[in-house]
Amino acid sequence: MSKISKAKLSLKSLLLANPWGFVIPVILGIAASLAGVALLGISGWFISAAGLATAMGLGLVFNYLTPGAIVRFMAILRTAGRYGEQVSSHHHLLGLLRILRLWVWDQRVAQDPANLHKQSRGDLLQRLVSDLDQIIRWPLVVFLPWVYALFGYGAVIILAYCISPTLLMPMLIAGLFHLVVVPYVCGCFASRAVHVGQILGVHRRGRFVSVFSALITLTIRGHWQDYAQRLKQLDERQYRMEVRIQQAISLGRLLAYLVTIGLLICCFYLLMVEGDAQASAGYGVLADGVQGTWVVALVLSLLAINELVLPLSQSFVAQGQSQVGLRRLNQLHQQAAEQSVSTVDFIESIELIDWRGFHASSGMGNTQVSFTLEAGDIVWLRGASGSGKSTLLASLAGDCLASGVAHVNAQPQSLYANEAYQAQLNYLPQTPYVFQQSIAANLLLGKENATDDELWAVLDAVALGDWVSGLADGLHTLLGAQGRDLSGGQRKRLALARLLLRRSSVLLLDEPFDGLDKATIAHICDALQNAYKPKILVLVSHVESPLGEMARVIEL
Amino acid sequence: MSRHEKVEKTRRKGRVKTPEVIFLDGLAKQQSPQYRLVQGFGVLFAISLVAQAWALAHVFSDMVLQQTFSLPVLLIGLFALLVRALASFGRERVSAQASRNIRYGLRNKLVSHLTQLGPSRLRIEEDAALSTRVYEQVDALDDFFSRYKPQVFMVTLIPLVILLSVAPVSWVAFFVFMMTAPLVIVFMIFVGHKAAQANRRQFNVLAMLSNQFMDLSQGLAELKRLGRTKQAKMRLSDTASAYQKTTMGVLRLAFLSTATLELFASLSIAMIALYLGLGLLEALPWQKGEAPVTLTQAMYLLLLAPEFYLPLRQLGNDYHAKQKAEAAATDLLQILNTQVEDASTFQTNASSQTNTSSQTNTSDLTAFSHQAALLRFDQLSWQESGRSRLAPITAALAEGERVWLSGQSGVGKSSLLHLLLGFEGHYQGRCLINGQVFSSTNLASWRKRLAWLPQTPEWVNGSIRRNLLLGLEGTEAPNEDELQDALAKSQCDDFVRALPNGLETKVTEMGVGLSGGQMQRLSIARALLSKADIWLLDEPCSGLDEETAQAVLATLNQASQGKTLLVVSHDTHPIKWADKHWQLSQGGLHEQDF
Repeated sequence: MSKISKAKLSLKSLLLANPWGFVIPVILGIAASLAGVALLGISGWFISAAGLATAMGLGLVFNYLTPGAIVRFMAILRTAGRYGEQVSSHHHLLGLLRILRLWVWDQRVAQDPANLHKQSRGDLLQRLVSDLDQIIRWPLVVFLPWVYALFGYGAVIILAYCISPTLLMPMLIAGLFHLVVVPYVCGCFASRAVHVGQILGVHRRGRFVSVFSALITLTIRGHWQDYAQRLKQLDERQYRMEVRIQQAISLGRLLAYLVTIGLLICCFYLLMVEGDAQASAGYGVLADGVQGTWVVALVLSLLAINELVLPLSQSFVAQGQSQVGLRRLNQLHQQAAEQSVSTVDFIESIELIDWRGFHASSGMGNTQVSFTLEAGDIVWLRGASGSGKSTLLASLAGDCLASGVAHVNAQPQSLYANEAYQAQLNYLPQTPYVFQQSIAANLLLGKENATDDELWAVLDAVALGDWVSGLADGLHTLLGAQGRDLSGGQRKRLALARLLLRRSSVLLLDEPFDGLDKATIAHICDALQNAYKPKILVLVSHVESPLGEMARVIEL
Repeated sequence: MSRHEKVEKTRRKGRVKTPEVIFLDGLAKQQSPQYRLVQGFGVLFAISLVAQAWALAHVFSDMVLQQTFSLPVLLIGLFALLVRALASFGRERVSAQASRNIRYGLRNKLVSHLTQLGPSRLRIEEDAALSTRVYEQVDALDDFFSRYKPQVFMVTLIPLVILLSVAPVSWVAFFVFMMTAPLVIVFMIFVGHKAAQANRRQFNVLAMLSNQFMDLSQGLAELKRLGRTKQAKMRLSDTASAYQKTTMGVLRLAFLSTATLELFASLSIAMIALYLGLGLLEALPWQKGEAPVTLTQAMYLLLLAPEFYLPLRQLGNDYHAKQKAEAAATDLLQILNTQVEDASTFQTNASSQTNTSSQTNTSDLTAFSHQAALLRFDQLSWQESGRSRLAPITAALAEGERVWLSGQSGVGKSSLLHLLLGFEGHYQGRCLINGQVFSSTNLASWRKRLAWLPQTPEWVNGSIRRNLLLGLEGTEAPNEDELQDALAKSQCDDFVRALPNGLETKVTEMGVGLSGGQMQRLSIARALLSKADIWLLDEPCSGLDEETAQAVLATLNQASQGKTLLVVSHDTHPIKWADKHWQLSQGGLHEQDF
């Protein structure tokens, strides 16, 4: 598992992720499949042997108990084996699902902060749900049926060899066709359609969302029809792909049938005596030493094998889908970044020289500034809308790219994504995230072992205490998606409370007072100057506050 | 089955038919010629099945007893196998075709229905979720139409054919089949229900898992800052393990039921084999010394036995397809049942009515237009399912007037804008444009006069330039100077110039580091480019912080000089430069003084 978390994904690595978990379903499945083939074969042999014995007058000495017991045993084995296989393979599958989900999480964590939101929510969800689904189906739909068919063939080939060695060749050839050639040919015929279809599916969906989000503008401009038409064209392409895939599957099944029929003809032909007098009269005669009873068993087994190989023609579709799923998931893969070994145990001062924070995608940011922050400082960053205050603050927090030189405690440091440095500071962004957990769980992210008293104290500090105690479930109230049941001000204060619990030496606040009344602002400022006073406080705000009055102002 | 029974059965079915089942049946009926063909192939399949068993039985018994076999009979057997293969090939293709026709037709219908719904589609769900319904949910019907539907027919056909062809040969085998078939069916239903329940529960838990993942993932930046990513991973791991455990519990049960069924079928085959074997040996306890069947007959029965249960077992495997389809149908019906209140009805009427109604309109004109009003609401109101969505309002808006419309949420502000956009039809009272009844104006030319600036700007994936020129293709396309002019007026030129790729910068869902204010400014530029003279704005400043909102409103003030404006905005973002302030409430519309 640890190996998987670093490497890129491949079907092989999935198969080997938990090899022992996989052995059980494979063995059980093979047993069940063989039992299924044997059930028919032995029944056929038993009945024909019984008929023969009676005809020869040996009926009374024929041991019917053993074959009867074997037939019943095979019936039970087939069922029990199938059951065991289903249970254990699904267990394995769910284990894989867990590993893969954690893999995706690891890749997300490894992504650097500036690119964290490059993936849209819908896209990530698509990868997480349907791509993962395609991948974990692979062992169940592709690998296992193939192994079962292979072993089934092996067993029947042995039976055929015992009946007559001449059958070995046609059996091997038919096996090659059934197990390799037919699936491969179908795969070649449809693999492009599978890949294109998968990608079209994602594309079509994106186009739908994109076009529909501008529905009104396009409608009032009278151009909706054109865009809807393009959407329809994508659908038509998808339709053609689907037709091709479906044709390939049906054709594959037909081919498998034809191979079976050909094999049966070969077997009968090879077992016949040539040039016999009876042959001309439309009768075939079995060669010497070939027992009719065993031939019956063989033919019935072959028919059973036919049922085992039929699903294989479908497996290439699943194979293609899994591969596309893997490729898409691997796009999330992150090269493990070289972590700088620098340690920052405390922050006494931060000096920025010619510093400019900017967004990776747009390159927009603040104009270059130089300033020094020292213990005891309260700094108010001010500037017109769009002057890059928030960007500067984010770059100071190590969340955003920057140019220039930074010294922490007079040591040069790279701030961006520097975990050791970031561990020492608290940053409240403009739109902080509130998790869909209880209020207490959200706060405990700041300090794991905080007591209830500490939680209430910090809630009071941000003037949320009254609100929380008024809730029916108090601290254990569950918050809705993205803090939907909170106002913007409440969400921000809750996030601030979480930060204050951490009590780190640097506190960076981006518009903490937006939408709050004067009394609340004063209350929070009081807490920030007394009980929860950080060593260095940097504030971005367009609202006057008691904190701002005593702050050093830096104009951008 | 007597006629009486049949009637009884259909009546009972009729009573339990859910809307989903009716919906799916209706869709299947569209393709009934295809399905009839599928049934034809099914009959061919069943006949060749029996023929193959008959031929092989003869070959086998001859081979065993005399070491010879009849070549023509063998050929018949192999030919029957070939026919079987071809029949299932045809069956698959035709039923897949039927399924495709149904699904792609349905999808077209859904897309055009959503188009007609316009903004009210968002009352069903947001666009991303709607796309899941239109694509994934429609495709979820595939298994139902391509596998389950044809299989239902096979499940009655094949056992019936086998029973009929077994009856003349052996009554014992006939009765074994007769006795076990109902039991198998009872098990089937039981298993199906269990599996469906399991499926649904599993689906819910899976959705919850994804939800948790998305929640943690969205707050990942926060978790990283707090240094809590390891704990989050533990949480994910724990819930995934818990999920694995509960799901396995459910699955074990579901599989056990299937296994019982399988065992039943397997044992029946084994019992028949044993009976035949002992019978042939003349060793049956109740028939010692005499064989109830010949070897040929025994072979025949043995070959048919597995085929008897096979369709039932397949139906059991496909049963979840039905559940899946019904679940999907619920979601799709929700879309189709949402009433279209759009303009399409009066759009088609518009052309035919224009002449007749223009005469009545002249009288309207004389009656109402003592003042040249561009827009006039006359006791305009509407209700939806008995609930008032807009109290009766009477007001007028002159050309070039800029009006601020405020009011609490849910009072009908947005609905009023949707009406003006031509997406709401079922209103009471009258809405006049230039003195003409709204429903009889030419909607296309009216819409061309409009610019729409909603709360979240309407952006498609593509460059900024493409978005600015969205819907202005062809002759209406503005030239570069006009583009620069619009950018300057909306104060976008500075930040667009600062972008490394300028106007070619790609805009996505996430907005590439453009702030909300900048996005709104680009919307203003787009409105300017469209040369529309009537601008409808729906809370353009919500979601922006105070400072940005004021700056955007100031830009809007300058850019919209000379245009007719209807701006919906909360009291928290007052439009101080508006000519009029309309306050909308449950009691109606009041003009406020500044």
